[in-house]
Amino acid sequence: MFKLNLKIALRNLWRNKGYTAINILGLSVGMACCLLIFLFIRYQTSFDNNFANASRIFRVVSTWEYPEGIFRSKGTPRPLPPAMREDIKEFEKVAAVQHSSAILKVNLPDGSEKLKVNRAIFFAEPELFEIFNFNWLKGNPSVLNTPNTVVLTDTVARTFFGSAEQAIGQSVIMNQGQPLRVAGVLANMQPNSSFPLNIVVSYKTYRDPNMQSWGSVTSASECYVLLKPGVHPASLQAPISRFLKKYYDGTAPGKEGHLLQPLADLHYNADYGNLAGQIMPRNELYGLAVIGIFLILTACINFVNMATAQAVGRSKEVGIRKVMGSRRKELIVQFLTETLAISVLSLLLACVLAEMALPGLNSLFRENLSFSLFSHPVIFVFMVGLVLLVSFLAGFYPALVISGFSPALAIKNKISQAASGGMGLRRVLVVVQFAITIVLIIGTIVILEQMRYVRNQPLGFDTQAVALVSVPNDSLSRPRFANLRDRITKIPGVTEVSLCDAPPSSMNNNQSSFSYNSTRDETFQINVKFADEHYQRAFGLKLAAGRFLARRDITAEYVVNETLLKKLNVREPADALGKYIVCQGVKAPIVGVVRDFNNMTLRETISPLLLCSRAASYELLAVKMEGKAIMQAMPQVEKTWNEVLPEYVYSSSFMDEQIANYYESERVTGTLFKVFAGVIMFISFIGLFGLISYVATQRTRELAIRKVLGASTAELVQLLNRSFIVMVCCANLVAWPLAYLFVTRWLSQFNYRIELTVWPFALAMLVSITVTLATVTLRSYRAAKTNAIDALKYE
Amino acid sequence: MITIENLQKVYKTEEIETTALNGINMHVAEGEFVSIMGPSGCGKSTLLNVMGLLDKPESGSYRFLDTELLTLRDRDRSAFRKKNMGFVFQNFNLIDELTVFENIELPLIYNKVNASERKKLVNEIIERMNIVNRNKHFPQQLSGGQQQRVAVARALVNRPKLVLADEPTGNLDSAHGNEVMELLCELNEQGTTIVMVTHSAHDASFSNRIVNLKDGHVISEKINKSRSAELI
Repeated sequence: MFKLNLKIALRNLWRNKGYTAINILGLSVGMACCLLIFLFIRYQTSFDNNFANASRIFRVVSTWEYPEGIFRSKGTPRPLPPAMREDIKEFEKVAAVQHSSAILKVNLPDGSEKLKVNRAIFFAEPELFEIFNFNWLKGNPSVLNTPNTVVLTDTVARTFFGSAEQAIGQSVIMNQGQPLRVAGVLANMQPNSSFPLNIVVSYKTYRDPNMQSWGSVTSASECYVLLKPGVHPASLQAPISRFLKKYYDGTAPGKEGHLLQPLADLHYNADYGNLAGQIMPRNELYGLAVIGIFLILTACINFVNMATAQAVGRSKEVGIRKVMGSRRKELIVQFLTETLAISVLSLLLACVLAEMALPGLNSLFRENLSFSLFSHPVIFVFMVGLVLLVSFLAGFYPALVISGFSPALAIKNKISQAASGGMGLRRVLVVVQFAITIVLIIGTIVILEQMRYVRNQPLGFDTQAVALVSVPNDSLSRPRFANLRDRITKIPGVTEVSLCDAPPSSMNNNQSSFSYNSTRDETFQINVKFADEHYQRAFGLKLAAGRFLARRDITAEYVVNETLLKKLNVREPADALGKYIVCQGVKAPIVGVVRDFNNMTLRETISPLLLCSRAASYELLAVKMEGKAIMQAMPQVEKTWNEVLPEYVYSSSFMDEQIANYYESERVTGTLFKVFAGVIMFISFIGLFGLISYVATQRTRELAIRKVLGASTAELVQLLNRSFIVMVCCANLVAWPLAYLFVTRWLSQFNYRIELTVWPFALAMLVSITVTLATVTLRSYRAAKTNAIDALKYE
Repeated sequence: MITIENLQKVYKTEEIETTALNGINMHVAEGEFVSIMGPSGCGKSTLLNVMGLLDKPESGSYRFLDTELLTLRDRDRSAFRKKNMGFVFQNFNLIDELTVFENIELPLIYNKVNASERKKLVNEIIERMNIVNRNKHFPQQLSGGQQQRVAVARALVNRPKLVLADEPTGNLDSAHGNEVMELLCELNEQGTTIVMVTHSAHDASFSNRIVNLKDGHVISEKINKSRSAELI
């Protein structure tokens, strides 16, 4: 019986090649996109969930409440971990981790240099490895109790010493003189981890002037805790508030607070970030999942439409089967089998399509790993689930309709259109399908428009042809800064060179409290940038009043921005000149006011800003070049740098590239929308073509009669197209409010955003109507041109 | 009114060529009621379709009131058709989704007659056809005879010079069949030229002249004395 059903199914598919092709094409494209989305979501949700105690692991994060709002950091004051270990009994383990970078040198046995690299390193307490059960190939966590020991991952150990065995007991020289003994080797970190602990130095090796300061927090000092079994994080509110009372005196302008952030939140929460620097906001994952559902829904709608449309053609078979004694259930099973066959065929094609699209996905997300279709059993489960879901979604309703035909009518081929699921349902489905498409079209237009706007938005400073070369800042390198700057300034094509701690627009911003013309701290913080006297020319900053910084190595004067004056209610920039500011313990006069420039991404507003000189904080050399000279000048810059600072490691980037990086997630979102809107449009319109083909076939006789009565081809095409145009218009009406909600929400995250006008909506309508008209006319023209006599003769 | 000379029409499929019309010559005078008879496949429906400009012969000439129709372009053919011709089919060919009124109105719409004029013309013909109380009904709600009346009404509403009928009684029982034939006679008497294809000698007896076809030729013509007297 099954064999016979399959035979009939396959023959039917073959006989209606056109419909089958439309079904399989639409389904497989939709399934392929779903597969890709699933692969990506699976990878993103697999972060940090391999630890034995995952549910009990938390990170302590810091908050400061200002009248303006809450300021957050993933870091904690350096004395916090030992204090918490002492005071909060509900914590089983507490561990401090300090993120840093260092120049590491490995020597050959004869004492000559084998390699020298600038790497991220982590100072960590041994407890960290009791909280997280990383796999130790050599040694154990206790080796981190000793100062001047280092633990490497397998790969790093191989790079440095050839193998894990050979690495043990060897020494690595940190920052030009501090030898570290290799005491352990860890298994390589997984790429889906927020802990890239490739080089871990014992915390006892770590030195910082702020070791005991509760008032100084950098986001690089993190603290992880393991709760005792059975302790609920909510029950820790009381101990933590006691802790806050004990260690903070409440005199600072921002009210300090500490929260416990669950391990499972680390990869997703953009408020705090993590050691790996890879964040995937959950909303984006949800967005992708919704798009995936839309895709599969659109493809299923095609299927339902085509299947119920074809149902009439199958009625005779159903009638005969019923007369022969087939029960309704058996017929349903038979038709579901057919759908299953199509789904499986589509899945096979979808795998091929997905495999072809994988390189694109990898490069889009710039992830250095390859998604693979067959790497995880859960992917198989998903595929099976997808096929079953699609078969059911797409097959069940048509099966119900077809199997419900009355045998007496069916056998005489007298099933009318109304009995076969009717045009009504099909119209609703098409409207849904179009509405989805239109939402995506509008979304795509707005996202691309916003991105174009952001790219063209004047930032208030010059971003073109500026290279940012990092410079080491220690007692050995600092005296050579002047020489380095002089030599690089002389390179042909270089027009200005400035030493600074950060470019005008940066993701790393120093916030500090300050006072203006009084002894009391203001209620908001200020962004402090350290820069020398060349900064203004290097970045093309404009002055509103006074002059720029003069040549000094320490802070002796300040330049502020217009936003600061606005916040301080100073009307005229010139009025601020000569007033005193106290910031980070330094009192100095304001000598100049710069015009506002964007100091963060365009998502944020411009902060109040302070520019001052301080050689001890410079970390960057901003090299402004003539646009044409970049290619020739950059190698020279590197050569000069290496000559002046031979014991350090050179690295550089470009200002405009850095700025482009701020909008990485918008770039990804934009590309995804473009691709998926295209795919959904494709699926919808092949479905549309299928439907119009069917409608045209159904109405052949009517068209013929009308033709005989004198209708022209144009009139007939219009007749067929009208209902589709009405459907598209309905879909637009449904889609607009949805798209509006989505788009305004998305735009609201940008401080600088396009005005939402009516034209993305109008354009989406125009596009949808044009494409629909083109698709439908293609088929209805053919129907209108057919010979009327043929249609009337054979009933 | 109609002069047909040497019409040739061949149907080609992948394997066979069938000659449907093989050099037909024929004349229809204004006001005449002509029946075309012959066995199945003799070409009578094809001839009717050619006369209705629904089909195109390979060669020959077809003049209608001194206009050569076979050389017209598609658009002109359909314009000519909707102005001058009405059709009645064996299976009525009414549109199921439209009411009786709307079905009858259709040719007027395609002839760009304005709405008030359309209403007047349709009501007139509905009255004449004695289907006034049916004008809000859909075709399936009517008997075969009533459906064919509607079809005839639709063919006439435009006041065509020529009505072409393809076995108008083929799907009707004899009582309803006679009703339709009497209707056609009545129209003919009022001056409409009618060409009818039929299998039935009984139906043919209502016409002035009977043309017999076989294998695409006219094999005989017979004047129906009882009816043609009035014409002459």
